Amino acid sequence: MRAFSLALALGASLLATSAMADITVYSAGPGGLIDKLAKGYADKTGVKVNVFQATTGKIMARIESEAANPVVDVLISASWDTATDFAKRGWLATYTSPNAAKVPDFLKNGTAVAQGISALGIAWNPASGTPKPAEWADLTKPAFEDLVTIPDPAQSGASFELVAALQAKDGWELFKGLAANGAIVAGANAEALNPVMQGAKAAVFGAVDYISLAAKAKGESIDVIFPASGTVIAPRPMMILNWSKQQDEAKKFIDYVLSDEGQKAVAATYLMPARTDIAANRPLISDLKILPVDAAAVYGKRDATLAEFGKVVGK
Amino acid sequence: MRAAAARTGGHGPIGWVAGVSLAVIVAVPFVFIVLQAIFPELGRGSLAAPLQHLPKTLGDPALLRLAGNTLIIGLGVVAGCTLIGVPLAVVRALFKVPCALAWDVAFLVPFMIPPYIATLGWIMTMQPRGYLQQLTGFNLGPLLFSVPGMILIMSLNLFPVVYFAVSRTIEAVGTRYADVGRVFGARPGRAFFRITLPLATPGLAASLLLVFALAIEEYGTPAALGTRFGFEVLVTGIENRISDWPIDLPGAAILSLLLVALSLVAFLIQRRILSSRNFDTVGGKPQAKDKRPLGAWALPVGLAFALVALLATGVPLAAILATALSKTISGGLKPANMGLQNFEEVLGNAGGALQALMNSLSLGIGTALVAGALGALTAYAVVKGSGRGRPVLDVLAMLPSALPGVVVAVGMILAWNQPALPFTPYNTAFILLLAYCCILLPQPVRYATAAFQQIGDNLEAAARVAGAGPFTVFRRIMLPLILPSLITSMLLVFAVASRELVASLLVAPVGMMTIAGFIWRQFEQGSVGLGMTMSFIAIVLTTLIPMLLIAALRRFAGARFTGLH
Repeated sequence: MRAFSLALALGASLLATSAMADITVYSAGPGGLIDKLAKGYADKTGVKVNVFQATTGKIMARIESEAANPVVDVLISASWDTATDFAKRGWLATYTSPNAAKVPDFLKNGTAVAQGISALGIAWNPASGTPKPAEWADLTKPAFEDLVTIPDPAQSGASFELVAALQAKDGWELFKGLAANGAIVAGANAEALNPVMQGAKAAVFGAVDYISLAAKAKGESIDVIFPASGTVIAPRPMMILNWSKQQDEAKKFIDYVLSDEGQKAVAATYLMPARTDIAANRPLISDLKILPVDAAAVYGKRDATLAEFGKVVGK
Repeated sequence: MRAAAARTGGHGPIGWVAGVSLAVIVAVPFVFIVLQAIFPELGRGSLAAPLQHLPKTLGDPALLRLAGNTLIIGLGVVAGCTLIGVPLAVVRALFKVPCALAWDVAFLVPFMIPPYIATLGWIMTMQPRGYLQQLTGFNLGPLLFSVPGMILIMSLNLFPVVYFAVSRTIEAVGTRYADVGRVFGARPGRAFFRITLPLATPGLAASLLLVFALAIEEYGTPAALGTRFGFEVLVTGIENRISDWPIDLPGAAILSLLLVALSLVAFLIQRRILSSRNFDTVGGKPQAKDKRPLGAWALPVGLAFALVALLATGVPLAAILATALSKTISGGLKPANMGLQNFEEVLGNAGGALQALMNSLSLGIGTALVAGALGALTAYAVVKGSGRGRPVLDVLAMLPSALPGVVVAVGMILAWNQPALPFTPYNTAFILLLAYCCILLPQPVRYATAAFQQIGDNLEAAARVAGAGPFTVFRRIMLPLILPSLITSMLLVFAVASRELVASLLVAPVGMMTIAGFIWRQFEQGSVGLGMTMSFIAIVLTTLIPMLLIAALRRFAGARFTGLH
């Protein structure tokens, strides 16, 4: 029994550390960015931000299980599809931030606005002894036999859009070539990148760029190549939930993320800032060829596309 | 109370305490998972469209493959752990093994290494251009990325469960009964197989059941290795349903119930083995604990222990440390690429590393105390009680070992985030404490149950005749006798709770970071080195804290404390 009361006291001390939140933000990675934004906003406004950070999938599972009694005020997802889906369910509040004026129209609508944008590219290890690839199709050449990883399109919205866009353009030939060349589907983004960094594999087909760019900045032997034939981007939507009891604070949080300070923090993580007037140390949307993705059509047949992909790549 | 006590044979109060606690910690989330499997809209507080999901989930042709793969892994790991753990345990219990204490410590370490970290260590060691190839020139990638490789890695991580349980049990049985057999003319081998080993059945069966349950609900290793060669198990299927858009909570709930069913079958088999036999070996008579010398076998036995310690503890630890000390992963194992940057960053509190450590260690201690106390009470009520509620308690106590962490997490959220609740642990640290207690409860229950099964009823009867009440008997007689087993299991609970990943990621209160959350966050961002550094620090702390605790207990309690000798 003494053990019980001790545990309770211990729990109580833990409880004291997480005081009641002023606003609650659920955010996809990178974790450092949302911590920085939360702190910057708290310093500016005195309103505390409590953060829950996880993958988009985990955040969705949490919101789904919490739906009877939701607690999230602002949601930042890594997939624009979330914004579309939540808007359809009628879960989003309408808000257009004054700071969103410099955000291109295709990165905002009445209920969501981009925090930043990532693009997919080839993450290639220059120390791997393979020729520098320039195109997706280069990874089907003998030089890359058994040396390519593909992030699982079932686990990442952006990877799925890349598969869908490339398939719409050229059919499944490219993916059949990858499979014949021994490419493997290796979990989420980090799982696909790790063997490439150590040199077990040479390249990631469709890596999320900012993670690789940040690794490169840390001194890893890794390069990101955006094929001239085109790639896909993944804008990261911010949304205010309509059940939030802190609508004003939530709106101010969106304003802050879109402020000069907030957007510079976004750029510092090697994401593209949503505002076009903020400088970034990396290729921007205007430097990339973006493949067209008809979200409604593509997501409409998601299951069929994933099943076909699994069959082709032998996952 | 008195009436209840009379009806349940004198153990009523303890049974009730255990029952109510188990109901809150285990039954509530489980009931919500069952409800979720029936009512797909439960999360939104609606009971619409019941069972609509069932045909789709159960009609999925992949289901049979997932279940089959899960069985392969579960049985394979049980076989692997038996092969590695039982011979070592028997030798350890009956003979004077050279450096025995050192091996015990070395075999404790795998408990402290999160399975997904150990697996990542293996991958970084054995894949092409991994550490092994950098050092020796060859790689074992093809072995690693295969079903036998996966079973081997998981067995190396889980065999200590068998090793500790069986060596404790055989030590408790002692050589006295086998000696009686020898007096009656049995050869040493016959005495061992006909007397000692059968008497150790409770510990063996309990630990193998635990290994089976742990193996089929393990997520990290199948996710890290299995995806590479398209080998999916039920848990990865459940995880995919929960983290892939669109989220399929009812489907995940149905698959979880399937997993529970698998564990229940294993549980019933174990019960069948143990029922209607008597394993009493602790009867209050003093037990001679002298072990026999190994003689010429000392060297080969020592080498066998060293080899297993190297594989189970040495390789993963070395890989984790090598990665933590590398400035970059692509730089490899060159002196110029080695440094303490990662340690400086973690100790400099980058990304809230120190809070994460504090949070997880406090939660680990809290979980060990609550789960240990509750586990002892439950095991006592089940083994020594006689009420009709005993099977219910027993099933409740083993249920979580069949529930994947992610499902417990969803059950917790569904149960404790109901708007009608006047107060709730949800979004406080208590929800993590509840989740950890739920997930880890089976460990102390199994260990304590095995210990109670060996205590003869006459001890208790004598105390009751002398006028002691049920709580006094429990505290003054039963608890001290099972304390070594119980403390071993509580240390295990502490270690696992301090680094639990799957539930922590989902139910962690907003703004609260745990060790596993921190590590996972670093991996997700490609900072493998930082993640491994945190893992290494956590492994060292979760190993050292129990060691110091045991050293202190032995010092202050002297001969009365016999845990982990």
